[in-house]
Amino acid sequence: MSDPTPTNPSSPREYKEGFHDDIKAVKSVPKGLSHDVVDYMCDTKSEPDWMREFRHRSLDLFLKQDVPAWMPGLRDEFNYDEFTYYVSPVEKSARKWEDVPEEIRRTYDKLGIAKEEQKLLGGLGAQIDSEMAYHNIQESLSKKGIIFLSCDEGLKQYPEIFREHFAKNIPPEDNKFAALNSAFWSGGSFVYIPKSVKCDVPLSVYFRINAEQFGQFERTLIICEDDSFCHYVEGCSAPIYTTNSLHAAVVEIYVKERARCRYTTIQNWSTDVYNLVTKRSLISAKGVMEWVDGNLGSKRTVKYPSCYMIGEGAHGEVLSLASADKGMWQDAGAKLVFLAPNCSGRINSKSISGHGGRSSYRGLVQVAKNATNCRAQVNCDALILDPRSRSDTYPTMEVNGDLATVEHEATVSSVSDEQLFYLTSRGIKKEDAVSMIVNGFIEPVVKELPMEFAVEINRLIGLQMEGSVG
Amino acid sequence: MNLDAQRKLAWQTYQRLPLPSRRDVDWQRFDLRALNLDAIEQRPQSLRVTLNSAPGVTLAPLTDHPQLGRAIAADEPNKFAALTSALWRHGALLHVPANHKTCRPLEIIYEFTGDNAAAFPRTLVVLESGAEATIAQKFVGTGTGIHASLTEVFVNEGAKLHYVSHQNLAPGALDFTLKRAHVARDAEIDWVVGMFGGALTRYDVECVMDGEGGTSFMYGLGVGDNRRQIAQFTRQHHRVGNTTSDLLFKNVLRDRAATNYSGVIKVEKNANGTNAYQSNKNLVLDKTVQCDTRPVLEIESNQLRCTHGATVGRLDDNQLYYLRTRGLDDTTARNVLIEAFLAPVLDRIQIESVRNEFAELIHRKVVR
Repeated sequence: MSDPTPTNPSSPREYKEGFHDDIKAVKSVPKGLSHDVVDYMCDTKSEPDWMREFRHRSLDLFLKQDVPAWMPGLRDEFNYDEFTYYVSPVEKSARKWEDVPEEIRRTYDKLGIAKEEQKLLGGLGAQIDSEMAYHNIQESLSKKGIIFLSCDEGLKQYPEIFREHFAKNIPPEDNKFAALNSAFWSGGSFVYIPKSVKCDVPLSVYFRINAEQFGQFERTLIICEDDSFCHYVEGCSAPIYTTNSLHAAVVEIYVKERARCRYTTIQNWSTDVYNLVTKRSLISAKGVMEWVDGNLGSKRTVKYPSCYMIGEGAHGEVLSLASADKGMWQDAGAKLVFLAPNCSGRINSKSISGHGGRSSYRGLVQVAKNATNCRAQVNCDALILDPRSRSDTYPTMEVNGDLATVEHEATVSSVSDEQLFYLTSRGIKKEDAVSMIVNGFIEPVVKELPMEFAVEINRLIGLQMEGSVG
Repeated sequence: MNLDAQRKLAWQTYQRLPLPSRRDVDWQRFDLRALNLDAIEQRPQSLRVTLNSAPGVTLAPLTDHPQLGRAIAADEPNKFAALTSALWRHGALLHVPANHKTCRPLEIIYEFTGDNAAAFPRTLVVLESGAEATIAQKFVGTGTGIHASLTEVFVNEGAKLHYVSHQNLAPGALDFTLKRAHVARDAEIDWVVGMFGGALTRYDVECVMDGEGGTSFMYGLGVGDNRRQIAQFTRQHHRVGNTTSDLLFKNVLRDRAATNYSGVIKVEKNANGTNAYQSNKNLVLDKTVQCDTRPVLEIESNQLRCTHGATVGRLDDNQLYYLRTRGLDDTTARNVLIEAFLAPVLDRIQIESVRNEFAELIHRKVVR
């Protein structure tokens, strides 16, 4: 565990990723959403006809669908025609870091991304706006047959595998924002782990929005064949503008029999970004899916990583950490859907609201009629740091038939005076004491993160914490 | 607002609000085809009211009263509450004067009769400051059709109310109930609600914590058999701080029954020192049933502690095995465990005769 050293008081949190670089767009389209934009994207990406049809159909679906009624507020918050739906600062994705245009490299150097590749990653992707500027995988891994490409390259190089899985898990009919992504998707990763291959070093992608009033729609497709393993890590950030941006990703994961997949997200968008993401995994017999979902930024996050257990004995797990600071509403949660017997699932959610932020846990546990002997356990803990902040818990459990055990537990509380008193009586400064208590609170999630990310989370939470409890 | 004006406004509210449908998240699990509200205002109202009072308190048929409609307004956004407010003909008023303590249980019995009929029982309970009372309220009868009831409770400063209510209507009745208690400073309400009958029953049970030091204990028990559909909506509304609410709703389901529990703890800004707990536990006895639970917390205050929990489960094999090794046969062992599951709610009933009545109903309906 890293040392929870607090930094200088700065209340609320300082967003150090908020800088903006002048990066010239090589390709871009006019503002607003239209079928012309779809055609332009298909042409520049020289996509097959079925994809063109798919995109057009998705756009029609998007225009027809409503924002779900339970998503409060999103209906009129922004005008879809304010955004630019495709901006590409690069001609093509580079395999070598040196080939990445210098100005983009500078951005990533500031974010400290490239350094990390040598240290701990098996593969790295870097997306800026609509396109992947860089995508590379270690040779030892590609020799094992592991494929790690941008999603667009995946479509070009492996059309059969791609088409077999693409949008089969999350079709554009699923929800409005999945339809939006399906129409304008660009970038994201295509990961294929062959049978019995274990990818023991994480594959990582960093998403950056640089353009203003922009919509980023990356699409990730991960296929873990029988008995394989992979760990995928994503991070993201954006500059601070006075206008809004939109990030609507779709992540589809297939965990085949006895395979295991872990997907870690550290979401640190600036408070201009609406982050509306659909993430879903289909888990076959005895497969294991683990989502580790950290939400630390964005204006509004709407994201519920889901595990659909379709094979006997599958296991799904979601660790969720949300920290809502000033100007944020983290509507995060998880879904466990049991469709086969003898499956198990667990959700562990921790949220912190401070400086007027709002965090909501929204979750669903659903047990189908024939899914006998399933067990689900949900734990939600929320910490609320000041009287301006708000915390909600909206869990739903639907059980059909017997032979299932579903449990849910949640608590909402403040930093307890007793704990504070104990620590301060040992000579620890009040601020440090609060920071220690909060770090202890999130520890069960943080300890599941790769070391570097754990340090980063502690730093970010530490910053949010400063001077917040009176 | 006088009674006529209330009725008029309520009728407008009723007409304005849409019929519940399966598109509505609260109703999506329920079969509402049997619901028929055509010419509801002309339907014969057949309800017999029996009141058993005690010396020193007023327990009388309900007429206009200044407190009426203050907890449940005529424009309450609830179609069935509005319907009752507009059309009620029968009701009971219980008034306990300040500092008066009655130990004898006061009884209010509504008996619903008739075919394809309607009944709108309305109850108003006012405990003045420092008063103490125990009430048993029952909704029974062989009537079929619409049964919608309202119960408004005011527990004033330092008063203490023990309130047990249950519903055992005929299988042809559709029941819609709203109960709301306002709990003042240092007052306490301790209520137990039983849902045993009807084809469909919707219970809204709410406490509004209006004064510091107020306490509300809410216990509920739903018995689902014979395709019964039970919808429970609870609300613990902490308007001011230093208030406590505790809630436990338990359901047992078998024979194609469906339950949908949905409960909210709402803590308003600056209601510091709130202590709220909410728990919904469901015991599922066979695979023909459907059980949903949605416990919600909405917290806007930071010096507090709120906890909730929900479970859906079946009888524990280990416990069954243990009982069988002690010589109990399988059926008896199961019955013991079902009764043990419901015991924490039954134990809260302080009136022995009512507790026995609950136990008897449970025995008849879910214990085999």
